[in-house]
Amino acid sequence: MLSVFKSIPTHMDYKGQKLAEQIFQGIILISAVIGFVYGLIIEQFGWTVYIVLGGFAVSCLLTLPPWPMYRKNPLPWQPVLPETSTEPTQKPQENIQKKKKHK
Amino acid sequence: MNTVLSRANSLFAFSLSVMAVLTFGCFITTAFKDRRVPVDIRVSRVLLKNVDDFTGPRERSDLGFVTFDLTADLQPIFDWNVKQLFIYLSAEYATKANSLNQVVLWDKILLRGENAKLNLRDMKSKYFFFDDGNGLRSNKNITLTLSWNVVPNAGILPLVVGSGHVSLPFPESYENTRSY
Repeated sequence: MLSVFKSIPTHMDYKGQKLAEQIFQGIILISAVIGFVYGLIIEQFGWTVYIVLGGFAVSCLLTLPPWPMYRKNPLPWQPVLPETSTEPTQKPQENIQKKKKHK
Repeated sequence: MNTVLSRANSLFAFSLSVMAVLTFGCFITTAFKDRRVPVDIRVSRVLLKNVDDFTGPRERSDLGFVTFDLTADLQPIFDWNVKQLFIYLSAEYATKANSLNQVVLWDKILLRGENAKLNLRDMKSKYFFFDDGNGLRSNKNITLTLSWNVVPNAGILPLVVGSGHVSLPFPESYENTRSY
């Protein structure tokens, strides 16, 4: 069952990670300020906690799944080089020579 | 921040730090508040007996019974950092054997949201008013005060003495053994 979760791609590119971090920090700070002021006005600290928890839930939704906006700057990898024909034959010859020397 | 788990970890840790700062802010806004409130105590009846005290070192000790009225408005104390109040009525007096005696006669827990305007009449004491010896008889000055402990959401627990106390003398003679 775990292999299903591992096969879902969750990566973001670097600029996307920075954007995600800024988004969740901003959301939580704003909800903390709103919650503090609201709790101070209505004289109940419970509401401050609820508002911060709401901000946490919203930022979970926005930053945990890899939305397409976090994948807009993918890393430019080098193009794949085609394999040459001499490489596969050299290796078995080296192995045979090493085995003869040991015996 | 490449996987869901590392993003979730960093998000959760940030939220907890922000929550800690908010809790400290809640404490700071109410740390220096004066939590005293005027209190009115009246005593309607005082009884004095001399009974066997099995918890003390001597054979008989003085046992007092006080019936009191209590009026206090504790609503201004409840702000966003107060969870409950622990209120207690204590009697303080001096005898020949000890220079300072303090006995708790009655207490109550006031939760947030309950009616904080106390208007109690003819309350009996909850705990025995035993003296260490026989010092209650003919005692000229016994002072009853109401104090409370403020239990906060975050921060220190201050112990506040209400402004308003009553002093009364105790009777000269013992009552005969009658049921209370």
